[in-house]
Amino acid sequence: MTLTTKKNLIAALGGLFLVSLVLVQWREVQRREHEAGRGEAAIPVPASSQACVDCHGKGTPGIVAHWTGSTHAEKGVGCVDCHQAEKGDADGFEHYGAHIATIVTPLDCSRCHKTEYEEFAHSHHAQGGKILASLDNFLAETVEGHRAPFNPHSPTPGMEVTQVNGMASAFSGCQQCHGSKVGFQSTDGGVITLDDLKPGPDGKPTVPEAVERIKKDGTGRPLFHASTWPNTGIGRLNLDGSKGSCSACHSRHDFSPRRARQPENCGKCHLGPDHPQEEIYNESKHGVAFRDLREKMNLDAKEWVLGKDYSAAPTCATCHMSGHMQNGGKVTHDPGERISWTNRPPISRRMDTDENHAIVTETDPAKRRALIKDTSEEKRTRMKQVCNHCHTPDYVNAFYQQYDDLVVLYNEKFAKPGQKIMDTILKQGLRTKTEFDEEIEWTWFYLWHHEGRRARHGASMMAPDYTHWHGMFEVAERFYIHLIPQAREIAHKATEGGKADAGKAVDAVIDEILARPEHKWFSEGAEGQMDQIRKAMEQRYGKPGGAP
Amino acid sequence: MSMLIGWLKERIPVSGDRLREMTNEPVPNHLRRWWFCLGGTPAYLFVVQVVTGILLAFYYQPSSRTAYESVRYITEEAAFGWYLRGVHKWAATLMIAAVILHQMRVYFTGAYRKPREINWMVGMCLLVCTLMTGFTGYSLVFEQLSYWGATVGANITENVPVFGTLMKRMLLGGDTYNANTLSRFFILHAAVLPVTIVLLLGVHITLIRLQGVTELEFEDQEPGEQKHFNFFPDHFLTELMIGLVLMILLSVLATALPAEMGPKADPMSTPEVIKPEWFFYVTFRWLKLFSETTAILSMGFIAFLMFIWPLVDGAIRKRWKGSEASVWVGLFAVIAIVGLTVWEAFVAH
Amino acid sequence: MSEEVTPTTPPPADPSQDGPAPGCHAETPADPERRGFLGSLSSLAMAGGLAAGYGTFGCFAARYLYPAHAAATGWMFVCEVGRIAPGEALAYKLPDGAKVVIARQGSSGAAEDFVALSSVCPHLGCQVHWEGQNSRFFCPCHNGTFDPSGNPTGGPPKEPLPRYPLKVEDGLLFIEVPLEGLA
Repeated sequence: MTLTTKKNLIAALGGLFLVSLVLVQWREVQRREHEAGRGEAAIPVPASSQACVDCHGKGTPGIVAHWTGSTHAEKGVGCVDCHQAEKGDADGFEHYGAHIATIVTPLDCSRCHKTEYEEFAHSHHAQGGKILASLDNFLAETVEGHRAPFNPHSPTPGMEVTQVNGMASAFSGCQQCHGSKVGFQSTDGGVITLDDLKPGPDGKPTVPEAVERIKKDGTGRPLFHASTWPNTGIGRLNLDGSKGSCSACHSRHDFSPRRARQPENCGKCHLGPDHPQEEIYNESKHGVAFRDLREKMNLDAKEWVLGKDYSAAPTCATCHMSGHMQNGGKVTHDPGERISWTNRPPISRRMDTDENHAIVTETDPAKRRALIKDTSEEKRTRMKQVCNHCHTPDYVNAFYQQYDDLVVLYNEKFAKPGQKIMDTILKQGLRTKTEFDEEIEWTWFYLWHHEGRRARHGASMMAPDYTHWHGMFEVAERFYIHLIPQAREIAHKATEGGKADAGKAVDAVIDEILARPEHKWFSEGAEGQMDQIRKAMEQRYGKPGGAP
Repeated sequence: MSMLIGWLKERIPVSGDRLREMTNEPVPNHLRRWWFCLGGTPAYLFVVQVVTGILLAFYYQPSSRTAYESVRYITEEAAFGWYLRGVHKWAATLMIAAVILHQMRVYFTGAYRKPREINWMVGMCLLVCTLMTGFTGYSLVFEQLSYWGATVGANITENVPVFGTLMKRMLLGGDTYNANTLSRFFILHAAVLPVTIVLLLGVHITLIRLQGVTELEFEDQEPGEQKHFNFFPDHFLTELMIGLVLMILLSVLATALPAEMGPKADPMSTPEVIKPEWFFYVTFRWLKLFSETTAILSMGFIAFLMFIWPLVDGAIRKRWKGSEASVWVGLFAVIAIVGLTVWEAFVAH
Repeated sequence: MSEEVTPTTPPPADPSQDGPAPGCHAETPADPERRGFLGSLSSLAMAGGLAAGYGTFGCFAARYLYPAHAAATGWMFVCEVGRIAPGEALAYKLPDGAKVVIARQGSSGAAEDFVALSSVCPHLGCQVHWEGQNSRFFCPCHNGTFDPSGNPTGGPPKEPLPRYPLKVEDGLLFIEVPLEGLA
């Protein structure tokens, strides 16, 4: 090989080297593009929370990982920003140089999320804890459990049971949705709640004596009472006097709006025999569309405005809370703002609310008008704005006609009569004031609390099966086959037992009800009606066997 | 211009002609055959390693807390970092392969024989330094495999009789892998070993220069053919070509088979399958075949035998004239090494 | 190895004695002029090839050494606006540990009320600290001083203390800070 050849070869190899480097450059560009697409923003840990993240990143990496993926982390809101406590807070304690509290209440969140806090505070959600002295609670605490601890009556192999907590069903059941009354352990073995601390408007306790009784661990951290915490019930009664828990829907520590936008989130509580909203939604066309089009829901959108960010299907949040094109994208944290009926009580009521956002029960029209601040029609108009994104006004109005008709039918045919019978029996002294100790009380509870609500909720969200078979069908059975015979039996026994007047009074009420045209078929038979139906059918479809 | 040259010449009294003469070593003609350039190849790759190594060290942080993250930064964020890391990794692989091939060539051509015994020993030292550089470099990534490779490697040295514990403690900077270990590995990899290699290379090349390259005669050589050609520029151009071919090869390898990141080292869990780098497969398999002390002692003995082989071979050839024992021993060694390496490569445990 | 090899020792390599003279290497010389021209052309091509290859490699290395990208910045939550009363200041620490003084000078509640002063002296980068008794920032390196708004009042600094951008959103104060150097 001559020198010249070698030199030429070197020139060629140099060029080839250049070509291989062009390949390298191409890969580099590709890599950069790939990285740009991935675009994971760096998460800055606020200096005030660096120590928390360092330690909890090892101890409780799940919490830190959730926070890292949150909008809070993106915007530099760190652990201390939410968990900070002020001197004088009942639940504050020193934790590695920071004065913090375990539970972050809506009042804490309101430091930044003021509007959301206020909307939520006057919503029915915030009142969820009020059932703590209600019929439902009586069920869990007395009927299902016992208000005081009691002794076991035989041993449990493998476990030493010294006492039975009679409140277990209330603590693990009712209160996990409705919210507990958060309490500390007290040094004398009791519970210290906001009733003892009497917090002022700033959330700070006003009874120092109660604060002193709070039991603390070796590090000075106050100890919560296991009957009240952990709890993320929506109407939780917090130590600072605020109501509710934002993490009921916005699970900590990522506080994901994405999750709150999906029906499963509401389904933690809005399901089951007494208010199967999630099942109803799943049955409805709305739920079917959502499941099908989930990936088109743009659930990660910043604003998530209906009509702008997505239109594929509505979720619970879409109709009841989220912003849309017709209201300027305004979100509300009071889901009652667009609801025109409350189907919660035995007899449905119109959602005419007063200045305190409570339903007006006044019957005198003039007084009623004066009290109402926000009418059910205004609320319905707000809901119709949502509907209008996909449906024409005629369609929406006709739907509301169908819905109203069903609720009124239930009210008039079963709810009001049933209520009247129950009231009469009570007034005549033929049942005790104690609920659930007599069969007819269970019957009536099933009728309105389970079946009656299913029918009404089914109609409100377009689930025909819930409206009819799980709803009105069972309401009717409960009314005619259980409630009426049981009421008659009570009247009969009263008459035989020497309370003829009381028995007669009950019978009179039942007779009056059954004599109404809508109930006549039950006592008089309905053969004629069947003929009428058959005739109508024949008119429409022709005689069976005959040519069409 | 000429004034500047004159000014420089006065101050740096080096004659250009003299310099050319000094470097212009006559190169035996057999070096026209490509496989005789295996000595220059590792030298060239060593330069590549120094250059890319210095570049990588700009971002690398030798502490167990940040090492993995800094390697990730180099691989994923720094511009062309992945390429430089890939070149460094592949040049290391090629360098070790070239060193071994170079040694085999020297061995089978008997180029270690008198008067070149000492240069063989220097070469053996270079081999050991190269392997140690490979070992420490692999550990710097601080991923699972490299962490556990280092741990196992350090624990193996503990089995050396008498000095084992001392050696292990010196290597790890403590009884176990600890906060000081990585910086030790880094200093060994980036300073101590490279400087040692440079010094040894100096001796290696000076000795070649003083003794001249072994001349080999081939049967197909024409009788009247020139026996030497010039180092400069003829052989120098050959080396340049080899250098360029290597750069192309490295660039393609680094792009097609880039150096990746395994999971970060976790001292709490050992991966199911742990393997050292391929050039330690032989020793790894050897260790599994015998008890640790036996394996260590036998390996030490083999290494020692390799080191003094020129003397042993000399003695054999003195006793039995024309003995071909070295070829047979060499063949046996190559088969054994390749066999053990392949064995280790194809089984999980 | 198929070839028969015989190692021999060459003569001692002392080029001053009997090293082959440059150019003695056997090459069939064609037209010397033509060969010279082609040779220099080849030399040029060789130099070009080497420069292209290694030069590009050098450029890559330089690009690698140049800091990857300008420091990205991001908005970080500081506190609710109401937390700093007019006339008061808050010591805020950036994620990288740098200290920032955020002072409120107005009461409108807008971002203009606030200034966020870096504690890095614009002179030579030392850390200034607040001297309460003199109500000024003081730089210990060259005795530079700044008034509470960060304007230079004495010593070598001619520039005011650098300010960080601030914004107020829904009653919340945010600061724009570099995100470099964070995990």
